[in-house]
Amino acid sequence: MKWISSVSKKRLRLIVYAFMIFGLAVVIRLFYVQVLKHDELTELAKENWDREVPFASERGEITDRNGEIIVTNKLSPTLYFMPAQNDNIEEAARQIASVLNLDEKKLFEKMNKRAYLVKLAPEAKNISYEQAVQIQGLKIDGLYSGVDYVRHYPYGTLLSRFLGFTGYDTQGLAGIEYQYDKLLTSKSAAIRLFTDAAGNALPHVDDEWRDGEQGATVELTIDLEVQQVVERELSQAMEKYDADQALAIAMNPKTGEILGLASFPTYDPSNFTEVDQSIYNRNLPVWMTYEPGSTFKIITLSAALEEGVVNLEKDRFYDPGYTMVEGARLRCWKREGHKDETFLQVVENSCNPGFIELGQRVGPDKLMDYIHNFGFGEATGSNIPGEAKGILFSKERFGPVEHATTSFGQGISVTPIQQITAVAAAVNGGKLFTPYVVSKIVDSETGKVIHENTPQLKQQVISEDTSAQVRNALESVVANGSGRQAFRDGLRIGGKTGTAQKVQDGHYMDGNYIVSFIGFAPADDPEIIVYVAVDNPKSATVFGSTIAAPIVGQIIEDIAPTIGLAVDREGQLEKQYRWGDPITDRVPNLVGLKVDEIKKLQYPYRIEIHGEGELVVSQLPEPENILEVDDTIHLYLGNDSNKAKNNTNSGEDSNTEQNTN
Amino acid sequence: MLSVVGVLFIFSAGTYWSQVHYEGDTPFYIRQSIYLVIALIVFFTVIKMSLFTEEKTWITLYIISLILLVLVLVPGIGLSRNGSQSWIGLGPLTMQPAELVKITTLMYLSFLLSKVRNSERVVQVKHFLILIIPCALIMLQPDFGSVFILIVSAFMLFFVARYPVKLYVGIIALGVVGLAALIMSAPYRLQRIFAFIDPWGDPLGAGFQGVQSMLAIGPAGLLGHGFGDSRQKFLYLPEPQNDFIFSIILEEIGFFGGCVVLLLFGLFIYSGVGLAMQATQSSHFYAVVSLVSMIGFQACLNIGVVIGLIPVTGVTLPFISYGGTSLMIIWFIVAIVISFSNRVETKS
Repeated sequence: MKWISSVSKKRLRLIVYAFMIFGLAVVIRLFYVQVLKHDELTELAKENWDREVPFASERGEITDRNGEIIVTNKLSPTLYFMPAQNDNIEEAARQIASVLNLDEKKLFEKMNKRAYLVKLAPEAKNISYEQAVQIQGLKIDGLYSGVDYVRHYPYGTLLSRFLGFTGYDTQGLAGIEYQYDKLLTSKSAAIRLFTDAAGNALPHVDDEWRDGEQGATVELTIDLEVQQVVERELSQAMEKYDADQALAIAMNPKTGEILGLASFPTYDPSNFTEVDQSIYNRNLPVWMTYEPGSTFKIITLSAALEEGVVNLEKDRFYDPGYTMVEGARLRCWKREGHKDETFLQVVENSCNPGFIELGQRVGPDKLMDYIHNFGFGEATGSNIPGEAKGILFSKERFGPVEHATTSFGQGISVTPIQQITAVAAAVNGGKLFTPYVVSKIVDSETGKVIHENTPQLKQQVISEDTSAQVRNALESVVANGSGRQAFRDGLRIGGKTGTAQKVQDGHYMDGNYIVSFIGFAPADDPEIIVYVAVDNPKSATVFGSTIAAPIVGQIIEDIAPTIGLAVDREGQLEKQYRWGDPITDRVPNLVGLKVDEIKKLQYPYRIEIHGEGELVVSQLPEPENILEVDDTIHLYLGNDSNKAKNNTNSGEDSNTEQNTN
Repeated sequence: MLSVVGVLFIFSAGTYWSQVHYEGDTPFYIRQSIYLVIALIVFFTVIKMSLFTEEKTWITLYIISLILLVLVLVPGIGLSRNGSQSWIGLGPLTMQPAELVKITTLMYLSFLLSKVRNSERVVQVKHFLILIIPCALIMLQPDFGSVFILIVSAFMLFFVARYPVKLYVGIIALGVVGLAALIMSAPYRLQRIFAFIDPWGDPLGAGFQGVQSMLAIGPAGLLGHGFGDSRQKFLYLPEPQNDFIFSIILEEIGFFGGCVVLLLFGLFIYSGVGLAMQATQSSHFYAVVSLVSMIGFQACLNIGVVIGLIPVTGVTLPFISYGGTSLMIIWFIVAIVISFSNRVETKS
């Protein structure tokens, strides 16, 4: 084939190669686009096609530990608008605005966007049924009413500063709603509208339904009943003392589970815009830091006992009302001093010089180690949004004066959650747990547990033995010392008061205190620990002992049945009588006795007799309850000696009754 | 084979577009089927005729096509679509003279080149004149894509016809300058270039076509959404039955399907070159080479645009895209190529 030169052939081959290279490039490019970037482009394409009127699925619920619903959802019709489908948007905006009483101009601006679908929220979200019907009647092109939900809070303000709230797109904006937003968020179901690129509905293609997904349920460790009691008590205290703020934590000391968590003042999460952001953004039990005051003495006490530098009952201390440290006079809260006392009395009296002595016996380095080991100076890991770390003295600045003030809880700052976690460790056998408030997250459709929190033991801080001594000492604080107003008969509450002056710009504020009390029960094997702090109460005597202690006592008393505390715990320290206290005694058992026999016994009570008969068959109050002198015992008479005996001998009760009947 | 694929996908892709824009007209796929039948008739007729192997025929046709190009610019005769006056209306039928002129020019050049003696200078001014006259006329429509294809195909032909390599260096330089000039003369071209570099920068404006094409191809994956299930054909992509038909093909039958289509084009080029090698005269050799490389180049250009390798240029995909003229021309070309190689058989 001589008419084709070899040069031509070679060049033709070159051109063929060029085509082949191009073909290869195309294949590579296709692979890149269709396989490697497949997912990314699919996402983008979905957005491109998105012509869906959302039919919202429910956001996940938030429940307490028993599955009681704290936060749920409520249906709310919401308007959606497709600008491309309406030729006279101005008119449409005017019509909608007149039905819903909205600003026409703003609505028009919103509706006249170059977007495929506009959600007319928040203005036209959660409209009433009547309004929805009225608007449907207008038959406005491109206007759709979709289903949406708003958050519903069956308990109103309960737990609100911890829960946070959601915005008009039901997106979590604060608190746990924000923290767990991804899990709580549902995937909307939707009516799919098939439209072309211009937004016109496609002929002969039916709208489709796309299933959504509900958000996951977040189950808290909170116990709704405990929470309600705690909040009731705090709100009463707020009112009674006209306090600035108040907070409380109730915790299971054996696990770190938080049963109650309250901050006051509260707010309504469905109207969060009405309050200052300092209220909804600050979850006080983890956010606030302040001088702990005397509640911190538990740490010093634990350290001293663990180090074996004191014998509470045998060692004595003399408190003249102050101690000199490096020329500085550190006063006891009691001006004249507690004089001669045992160290147990030092604890009961919350005597500052006594605790300075204990702190000195432990030594500055060791005391600091204990403070750190108890978890101060760092976040507890509770995973509650907004947790602070508190402030301790640095090693270089920890001089003798700082050492002394730290010993009785001044000059440092801690968070309530640190305080309760540390004290829980001091009384539970020395185990420092990580506190937690989310118990598990459950897929609300399948019931599958997505995530579960279990008790996390951080470390053993003090020995079981030391812890037992701390518990005893703190029980006697309640029975005999500054915590007496937290005493509840049969519950064996132990605890410690705290009163601390607030600090502003490095100076103590005059007459502005945070009073607190930390209490636990039963003292021999704590099941519950409760911390309450009231910020700036207005009262004649502003002490933790007079304000916070009774609140904690009341809370523990009221939640005892809920958490299964025995109300007649054995071996309790009897409350010591003090002048002014009402004289009390235990109710004697009078059942089974004859009336004239009782009269001979000369009890210091008034006795009222009801009914006819010779024998007492029942009595009110029942035996072993505490009764003030001059109070009344009601006796109910009858002739049935069997019944009278049965009541005295309750063990055989059922048997006898079956025999007689 | 490729044309059957074409009809199928025009059926799929073009349906909606035609409903919206040409309501009441015969759907694209029926028209395209009719075109294909006509094209095949043309094909078999041309194969039987020896007329098209003669140089004289091509000189005549070249002149006729130039006349048509002039006519297209005359208002009343030429029809304007999408801003270009590229069509001539003959009653209900329309045709694009540019499609024809591409062939006649290349054929004429092939015959001229074959006459060049070994001792002679290869580069001749008249070659360029023959090329430039139709180019200039097409630019007046304007139809940049066709000019580009014609010029590149011609230069591929010159290349095979032993034009000195040195010249090509110069031409490429000239090409760059020319391209720059073209861009300067029409700002929309500059926008297309920018859109190519960053299509996501302005996804609703200049980058629209590139972005939408990517959105068609990407989600299809290896296997595609299945025949008829394209979503992008609903006006998201412009001219889905035409310039962007390969997007729709990729969207519906995926990566593997796309590769098959590529393979078919590869097969076409391969057998085309095979036929060229069997040619008995250098004029036939040149003719086959130029026609095959023109179709190949046009295919590359279209596919390149669709998959984002090349800035957007309005070029159809041979065999597959909708359009009576282009389909007939393509089969006309195939007929010529085959008839040239038939010569070989009859002669040897």
